[in-house]
Amino acid sequence: MSDETTGRPDLSTALRDALPAYEAPAALSAWATGQARRYDMESRGEPVRAPDGKRARTFSVARWQIAAALLCAAALGWAGATLRTVTHGMSASDQTASALVDTHIRSLLPGHLIDVQSSDRHTVKPWFAGRIDISPPVMDLASKGFPLIGGRLDYVQGHSAAAIVYGRRLHMINLFVWRTIPGERAVASTVRDGYAVLHWTTGDLSYWAVSDAAPAELDAFRAAYLDEASPPLSR
Amino acid sequence: MMRRSASVEPPIATDATTLAPGHAGERGFERVVLPHLSAGFTLARYLTGNAQDAEDAVQDAVVRAMRYFHTLRGDDARPWFLTIVRRVCLTTYSVDYHARESSISVDEPSLQLIDSDETPDMALQRSLVRDRVREAVDQLPPLLREAIVLREIQGCAYGEIAMITDSPIGTVMSRLSRARERLGALLHGVVDMGDVA
Repeated sequence: MSDETTGRPDLSTALRDALPAYEAPAALSAWATGQARRYDMESRGEPVRAPDGKRARTFSVARWQIAAALLCAAALGWAGATLRTVTHGMSASDQTASALVDTHIRSLLPGHLIDVQSSDRHTVKPWFAGRIDISPPVMDLASKGFPLIGGRLDYVQGHSAAAIVYGRRLHMINLFVWRTIPGERAVASTVRDGYAVLHWTTGDLSYWAVSDAAPAELDAFRAAYLDEASPPLSR
Repeated sequence: MMRRSASVEPPIATDATTLAPGHAGERGFERVVLPHLSAGFTLARYLTGNAQDAEDAVQDAVVRAMRYFHTLRGDDARPWFLTIVRRVCLTTYSVDYHARESSISVDEPSLQLIDSDETPDMALQRSLVRDRVREAVDQLPPLLREAIVLREIQGCAYGEIAMITDSPIGTVMSRLSRARERLGALLHGVVDMGDVA
């Protein structure tokens, strides 16, 4: 609306004209949609995040029902075999990748990501000393587009892991490091539930990078990390 | 792993015994909250003053919103989500509500707003008015600017602004009135203030 005599817009019109309402960037929308779908799926089926007691209790009931169903099936003598086949169908590294994706998602909940928050590798690296029996190389890769955010102690498949957290634009990269388990071999990169997982080993340490960034970003991350981290340290 | 067994189960989250009646979770986070992502981004954009911080803030806000989604009653998640966005902006992105130096940098809304029958003179005039309005909004104290952005750009009701900014409704109305008064003074001769100023 304009004033007919002056041709000047009224204040509201002028404000709306001058100050646009923005669209959320496509990358942000895509990320949020992925998170929301995951959240909704888990809320309906398996509330892993269980932010409140009600859903946590529901989870217990669900688990009990599954347990009961499995017991009955086992009594019949065939479901157990089926389950074993399913379990065997997944290789050990597949299971590790799945476990790491779950750990990665859990780490993104508020307050879970880091125990020691610092972009200074001289703060993060000593923090691991005394907490875990390896001394993972910690570098700030900010100059290569992967700023160091901090570190965390985590547990994956029953053993402790150093988790070093890096940023990549809007994404987080969890780099899990542990002493190589006998028989553990480097596996190719994989994508699980939309999360990229990249595994490599150096010396006696095993590295697993997990992120919602594109797999190519993780390749670049590994290259940047290996570039800086020579020689790998362990004690 | 439990997730693999879960697909055979009924959608227990919609069970009346697990969620309070009217819980927004019945419709899901994606349908209830995500339609307001752009509104959240717009608010963050004006509060933080840049697109990168705004993206980060909205990302944080989405994660927090998931965590507190079970507390949301009713279906209108917009003021609820904007409240979370605003808090993230204030706590994480150090929006300094007393002395912010940086100015709003507004992306040029480009030509789509210009009528096709507009003469070059009128287009120039509009562009000049826009610049003056942005400068003026930029000079508002942050609390007044926030109120005016929520009211005029986001189209929020007074009650919604009160909820989002965690202020009494009287305070909101007073801020809006002071914001308009200041804008009227700064934009004297540029916009028509009618009887409002």
